[in-house]
Amino acid sequence: MSGNGMLLFLAAWPMTAALLSYIIGRFSKKSRDFFADGAVLLEFAVLLGLLLAGVLAWGGESGAASGFVVSEFCWEGFCGLGLHLELDGFRALYGLIAAFMWLMTTVFSREYLARYRNRNRYYLFVLLTLGATMGVFLAADLYTAFIFFEIMSFTSYAWVAHDEKEAAMRAAGTYLGVAVIGGMVTLMGLFLFYHVAGTLEFSELLPACRALWEEKQGTLYLAGGLTAFGFAAKAGVFPLHIWLPKAHPVAPAPASALLSGILTKTGIFGLLAVSCNVFRHDPFWGMAVFAFGMLTMFGGALLAVFSVDLKRTLACSSMSQIGFILVGIGMQGLLGEENALAVRGTFLHMVNHSLIKLVLFLAAGVVYMNLHQLNLNEIRGFGRKKPLLAFCFLMGALGIGGIPLWNGYVSKTLLHESIVEYGALAAEGLSVYGTAAFWKGAEWIFLVCGGMTVAYMTKLFVALFVERSPERQEEFDTKYGRYWSLESKLAVAVPALLLPLMGMLPGLVMDPAAELGAGFFGGGASARPVRYFSLENLSGGLVSIAIGALIYFGVIRTALMRKRADGVRVYVDRWPAWLDLENLMRGVGRGLLAVSAVLCRALDRILDGSVVFARKTTHRQLKEDKIQVSRNRLAYWTGCFLEWNSDLLNKTVRRKRPVEKAYVRRLMEFEEKTVRTNRIINESLSFALLLVCIGLIVVLLYLLWIR
Amino acid sequence: MQVLLMTVPVLLPLAGGFFMLVMGTGREGAGKKQERNRLLFMEAVVLAASFSVWALILAGREGGREAVLFYLAGKDLKVFFRLDGAGCVFAGLVSFLWPFATLYASEYMEGEERQNSFFAFYTMAYGVTLGIAFAGNLVTLYLFYELLTLVTFPLVLHYRNRESRAASRKYLYYSIGGAAFAFMGLVFILIYGNTADFILGGVLNRGVPGFRVNTILFMYVLAFFGFGVKAALFPVHGWLPKASVAPTPVTALLHAVAVVKSGAFAILRLTYYSYGADFIRGTWAHYVVLAAVLVTIVYGSTMAVREAHLKRRLAYSTISNLSYVLFGVVMMNPLGMAAALVHMVFHALMKICAFFCAGAIMHKTEKNFVYELGGMGRQMPVTFACFTVAGLSLMGLPLFAGFISKWNLARSAVAAGGALGVTAVGVLLYSALMTGIYMLTVTVRALFPNEGEKTAALVGRTEPGWRMLAPTVLFAVLLVVFGVYSGPLVRFIMEVAEGVMV
Repeated sequence: MSGNGMLLFLAAWPMTAALLSYIIGRFSKKSRDFFADGAVLLEFAVLLGLLLAGVLAWGGESGAASGFVVSEFCWEGFCGLGLHLELDGFRALYGLIAAFMWLMTTVFSREYLARYRNRNRYYLFVLLTLGATMGVFLAADLYTAFIFFEIMSFTSYAWVAHDEKEAAMRAAGTYLGVAVIGGMVTLMGLFLFYHVAGTLEFSELLPACRALWEEKQGTLYLAGGLTAFGFAAKAGVFPLHIWLPKAHPVAPAPASALLSGILTKTGIFGLLAVSCNVFRHDPFWGMAVFAFGMLTMFGGALLAVFSVDLKRTLACSSMSQIGFILVGIGMQGLLGEENALAVRGTFLHMVNHSLIKLVLFLAAGVVYMNLHQLNLNEIRGFGRKKPLLAFCFLMGALGIGGIPLWNGYVSKTLLHESIVEYGALAAEGLSVYGTAAFWKGAEWIFLVCGGMTVAYMTKLFVALFVERSPERQEEFDTKYGRYWSLESKLAVAVPALLLPLMGMLPGLVMDPAAELGAGFFGGGASARPVRYFSLENLSGGLVSIAIGALIYFGVIRTALMRKRADGVRVYVDRWPAWLDLENLMRGVGRGLLAVSAVLCRALDRILDGSVVFARKTTHRQLKEDKIQVSRNRLAYWTGCFLEWNSDLLNKTVRRKRPVEKAYVRRLMEFEEKTVRTNRIINESLSFALLLVCIGLIVVLLYLLWIR
Repeated sequence: MQVLLMTVPVLLPLAGGFFMLVMGTGREGAGKKQERNRLLFMEAVVLAASFSVWALILAGREGGREAVLFYLAGKDLKVFFRLDGAGCVFAGLVSFLWPFATLYASEYMEGEERQNSFFAFYTMAYGVTLGIAFAGNLVTLYLFYELLTLVTFPLVLHYRNRESRAASRKYLYYSIGGAAFAFMGLVFILIYGNTADFILGGVLNRGVPGFRVNTILFMYVLAFFGFGVKAALFPVHGWLPKASVAPTPVTALLHAVAVVKSGAFAILRLTYYSYGADFIRGTWAHYVVLAAVLVTIVYGSTMAVREAHLKRRLAYSTISNLSYVLFGVVMMNPLGMAAALVHMVFHALMKICAFFCAGAIMHKTEKNFVYELGGMGRQMPVTFACFTVAGLSLMGLPLFAGFISKWNLARSAVAAGGALGVTAVGVLLYSALMTGIYMLTVTVRALFPNEGEKTAALVGRTEPGWRMLAPTVLFAVLLVVFGVYSGPLVRFIMEVAEGVMV
């Protein structure tokens, strides 16, 4: 072990605390809750301290992009190849955000889970997952990242399955299945990398792969694709997203926030690790990631527009935002050395999305813990006359919708700019892929997706806070006066306040943060400062808002709503059931398994079948072999003789104590038993010996004639 | 002294078991006091044997001393023991597991009939297995291999019902039939080898008149499948799932470790120490055995998913995992041999742990099928925690021992290179996925019951006693310990495989 031990502490402390909290929870629930809060707070404080220490130690040398002193930790021999952790600006900042989210959700959990069962188990897995997630973000090689990633996949399973209802178990099953497949495929990618490049260290992979580039390009792409597979599955990239729209909603709300906000980002982290180290500035890889990003972005937004379930909409929205981030990663590769815009856009959108989803999912949790319903038709009107909740939700909605002055706008603008920039290159004929028209189209899809975000967030906000419930409005307004505790208020409102703060002061908050993170991405030199509120940039945002309004009024209010018999307009789910990819993939998996099982069973019969065949044909048993036990005279006659003797005795010598006489029966039973046993032994031994003899004879013949 | 010490671990359990058979006849009762005395006697014998094994291992193996038991015919055909690196691994593994398994068995079998003969054969099997580990040449190995069949046959037959009779008969057919094939391989080594002793790199002598490569390869394949019977290689695997009718201590120790690993170990000896990996690599024989191994892996893991009987499911899993060991063997490179030995050790720990858990469940609740286990996690938390650890380890998840061996196996496959490597890695991937399904469904069902199954949780705790629980927990802990820190063991095995260490 060498290096900064605090890094190990960051990963190991939550896991230790998890066990401690479980033990404490056996005795006192209250102290367990406080202990969990304290444990996460400590984690947050340590990270904050490390971040500040790193920034202050930098001392302001100019030149490189990062203003952070990197520290490392190594534990040789751990799990075979060793554990290697590293803390740079990106990791410190993102780790801090993770810890912040854990802090808020843990505080929120106390009220949310008050009436749940198995809370001890929940806290155990929450803290375990925190440690694993930290491990992923701190990893300095693919191996370490993979180890913690796998731990995280399995510990977070307990979140999804926490309800133990049928829907939850099914979603959890799919989650686990995708996680297992993804993990194994990623592992294969690691094998390939390790074999080809001889290392899995992030810092050594780039030079190693550059050296191999000419001869092993195909293998490297294969290895990269395999490695990316598992991470992409966790991030919810199309078409591996099948688990996401089901698993996020069924988990308890604080866990949903973490699943959506942070756990998807561990997948992104893995993708970044591959994209920014092995395939840094590689246009082909960039184009592939870009294409998947586009699909995910659009697919998620489409699902979200159709959804009529509060948390499901948010989950699909997460998928769509992951698509935005992927587009950023793709643009990094395409833009090559000049990718500063894309780098910042990617990183900031990761940060923004995490914080926004924290607010939104916790707000949804407030609704659920009061009503235990999530369907928009059931919960609509709940938020009326609840200004704080409305404010928090609105901040999140505006943030994710990319409305100017909120944080989402900043990152979306950067991403948009990077596409525009590449489009300009294409117009000059300098691009590797695509024509100017192609990139114009891509830009429009990007804007439309932004518009869809606005539309579905409007749908949620209007349903919750503007419309009136046709049946229960009176109840909503009066009965739920104290609908959340002070702690929960803090947990939702504090992050909600951050969002506009970041959005309104991009130069003060966002740019330095992006600068700090850029080192990890290996981005180009810092670009000219972006003027976020120039007319040119604002117009992109405004176009998106206009498209959003169009979709909301043109599609959602018309095609996706229906008038009920009593004249009330309700939301309807018009997403066709056969388009549910999860069922399709489950069916395919089952079918394959059934086919292979049938094959295996057929194979099973080969050897035994051939033996049976031989017994029925060439090695048929002779009829005489079947000994008719009952016809054997010997036992009968002996028995008769003995009985006659004892009769004699009974009449003469042993008249007082006569001998029992059942010799015939006893002897015949004994005979039958012996014969049966003998037969079994004979059959088995004879067959075995036969085989031995065949073997010996073959050898003998060989020795005699051939040799 | 060392020479004498080498015969102790083999002969002592044999003598002990024989003693129990002779003394115990007619006293098949199950009195408490008798049970205790028997346990003390058995543990004394087993521990004495184990300690002498450890003394041998730790004393070092310089000089390669041999303990010749007797000569069969002339100076060539001798039966002798010699402890080398690979033997050390196998003997060390077996001698570590046996005392704990005996402890477990003593509680599991409490109040059963025919305990005396059961434990007599159980102890004798220990000596025979050590004989296989110590065997210095193929003749000795073959002798003890046959002996193992005879000693373990009564254990399968233990319950004396229809099922166990059919199972033991099948076991006997397969084993003796397989040994016949193995015998041919032995004869050819005697003729065409310089010696039958085990020497890393093989002993074949191309100078012997009449040496025809294809014939020798054919004999190798025959012997491979012959020894493959005990290693449950497809298509001669049929006896193993059937044999799970035996009492759990037998399935756990013999059908997951001792017997089946003897088969795998014999194949390892045959491949690397008799015929020689260089001789086989790249020939048609190599592809034949490789294909059989890959098919077995796929077959075993697929069938395990379809099997609802818990013990049989684990048996199919054993089939698949034994072929992981053989997978390492047929990679025909030092890395592969090392991976095979590593997986042999780790799989033994995982599977014995899983079987012990299954046994505990059967023993305490009489439940045999996976679908009956809903909510049992609350009833037997420790048992299911151990089972989960074993399951995760079998899947090859990091932090658990299974990951180390899977990592090494896949590395050897990639090192073998080409289409062969790719196919092999693909098979590993498929199997890992199936392992995930068949192990985790059990855990999930037990720990996250469906709504209707909550009633099972209300029965209260029914953990088994310490004699069953302690070994299970110990093995689970070891799985994690080895998962986190396996450096010395893997290094040792690597040195053995590369021939640095004899």
